[in-house]
Amino acid sequence: MSSQNRAPEAELGLLDATMIGMGAMIGAGIFVLTGLAAEIAGPAAILVFALNGVVTAFTGLSYAELAASIPKSGGGYAFVREVFDDLSSFVMGWMLWFAYMIAGGLYALGFAPNFLELLHVYGMVPPPEQVQAVALPLVDAALPVAVLLAFAAVLLLVAVNAVSTAASGSVETIFTAVKVSILVVFVAFGAVSPMFSTAEFQPLFPQDGGALAVLPAMGLTFIAFEGYDLITTVTEEVENPRENIPKAIFVSLGATVVVYLAVVSVAIGTLGADGLAEAGEAGIAQAATEFMPTGIPVIQNGGAVIVFGAVFSTLTALNAVVIASSRVAFSMGREGQLVSSIGQIHHKYGTPFVAILASAVVMLGSVALPTKSAGNMSSLFFLLSFVVVNVAVIRLRRERPNMHRPYEIPFYPVPPALGILLNLVLTGVLVEYLIRTDPLALGLSVGWILLGGLTYLALDRFRSGSDRDDEQTTELDVTPESDD
Amino acid sequence: MTKDLKVIVAGGGRVGFQTAELLADRGHDVTIIEQRTDIVEQIADEWVATVIEGDATNPDIIEQAGVEDADAIAALTGVTGLNLAVCMAAKELSPGIRTVARIERSAGESYTRFVDAVVFPERAGARLAANEIVGSDVQTLSDVTGALDIMLIRVHEESPAAGKRLADVRFPSGALVVSDADGERIAGSDTTLTAGKRYVVAVEPAVADEVMNLMRG
Repeated sequence: MSSQNRAPEAELGLLDATMIGMGAMIGAGIFVLTGLAAEIAGPAAILVFALNGVVTAFTGLSYAELAASIPKSGGGYAFVREVFDDLSSFVMGWMLWFAYMIAGGLYALGFAPNFLELLHVYGMVPPPEQVQAVALPLVDAALPVAVLLAFAAVLLLVAVNAVSTAASGSVETIFTAVKVSILVVFVAFGAVSPMFSTAEFQPLFPQDGGALAVLPAMGLTFIAFEGYDLITTVTEEVENPRENIPKAIFVSLGATVVVYLAVVSVAIGTLGADGLAEAGEAGIAQAATEFMPTGIPVIQNGGAVIVFGAVFSTLTALNAVVIASSRVAFSMGREGQLVSSIGQIHHKYGTPFVAILASAVVMLGSVALPTKSAGNMSSLFFLLSFVVVNVAVIRLRRERPNMHRPYEIPFYPVPPALGILLNLVLTGVLVEYLIRTDPLALGLSVGWILLGGLTYLALDRFRSGSDRDDEQTTELDVTPESDD
Repeated sequence: MTKDLKVIVAGGGRVGFQTAELLADRGHDVTIIEQRTDIVEQIADEWVATVIEGDATNPDIIEQAGVEDADAIAALTGVTGLNLAVCMAAKELSPGIRTVARIERSAGESYTRFVDAVVFPERAGARLAANEIVGSDVQTLSDVTGALDIMLIRVHEESPAAGKRLADVRFPSGALVVSDADGERIAGSDTTLTAGKRYVVAVEPAVADEVMNLMRG
């Protein structure tokens, strides 16, 4: 994988890099999570996304400084690996890997109801509520339609990625442009619709939670802003990265927040917070079918465009996290932090085959989770890994004061310190919320950390046993153009 | 189980930077120590290595470059004495490290008492120049022009390619296995990549890392 990144010519411009970040952030979060945010926070869901944008901006600054000074394409894990000892960097990789895999499950779960809605728009299946109404009460046997669809989506993308190398950045740019234009259409129609002009954003906060209800909703939807980690995984393909990467991080974050705010405002304005909450993962798509014009030739229903956008977005986001998660696992394998076969390129397919398969197992498993639990867990692990990234910046400044930093965080150390503090606050709120409402997600999260601890110990023991014999053969056997 | 090496290059001038670039192309981790601000800026623009700005003989600076976990340090400034000092300081801070010093004169071979290896770029350059002047049809390995690398690579026993026929290993385009195991015949699709044997391989920089993955694991 990294081989393609160190191509002699850097091909991605600022626009492409920005689009990669926006593609991941605008991807599925907006379609899948807005309904859930509205359920917890009511109309204040708008506030939720704005505040999350602010919180994540601090970590964005840290990513910008690290990406500009450490010329590596591994994203958060690579940076932390540079700064921390084995255990801490292992924990970082382990958490980030999980966050991406669960995000994959989440996007697959978001894909399914939107796909059903798309079929429904064309009259092929009954409305999604009815498909699911049959399914929901019988948890094991009858959930199938949505879960099977999600399962199939993961399988499909894993298979594609396992046997061929990923789509290039320019394809990603086109994907993102499609997604954004569909959302612009959504916002434009929504804003002029009669439903929006009579929109009711009062009471802003829900009755039972008050203003504090915003906090757990922030925790849940935090995953929506994880995209810039993805920008820093392709830095080596970007022209003049030390300038363009920080810019791409800020521009994509800013643009994403604007898009989110517009879309959420329109969705709540038209469907109402309650309606949006009821629609769940297909919230935006349903809002769209309510106010988009009908009777258009071929596509029949204007709402179909948005529903298609949702299906397209969840799939492309799923594709992105399949790549991202396997890349984290692959780097960990390369660094000897997971079994070495995970860090190998398949001799036939030229892809990190084992890393993709390993990620696929967890991703497929997570499809059985409720969407909300998947969102919660993924957000939790992104929050934690972002804490580590902020700590890494501070630590690197202290330990390597002479390191050349083409981009330096303004007002250091305030932003990373605030980043740590705010991410920890959200983590705390989220954990507290999980204890009350979603012990399953919390239990699985703790389980993953424990599993990580065991894996680390086992590998450590295995290594210290076999290292001795390895050492002699590790001498440079590669003799390039011998000098004498 | 080979993994990428962590290498410190002291001196980011012509030799140091080119070396760093070659290493980075093959997937190794490189940190450059460079004192001159203008050169630091140039290196940063090229995006191949982390740069520590400072004097490489200063133990504090060597530590910032991560000498404790580095596999090798190459002191490649134009000053022999300085290079030796850097290598010896690094050895003192991290006894297991492999040290390579650039020297000025061929007599410098005796320096291997202090460092693990010496390099003498001028001599290599002179040989290239001599080859070029004679204009011989016979080209040595180091005489490849452009970006292409011709390397001798030993197949590691745990690598994906070990024990496989060339036809069964999907080498990236931009890579060509030239010789068979004994170095006596041109490789064909039936040639088996035997673990422990060395093969002549021509690679473009973009795929060097991938080829290493396949042959070195």
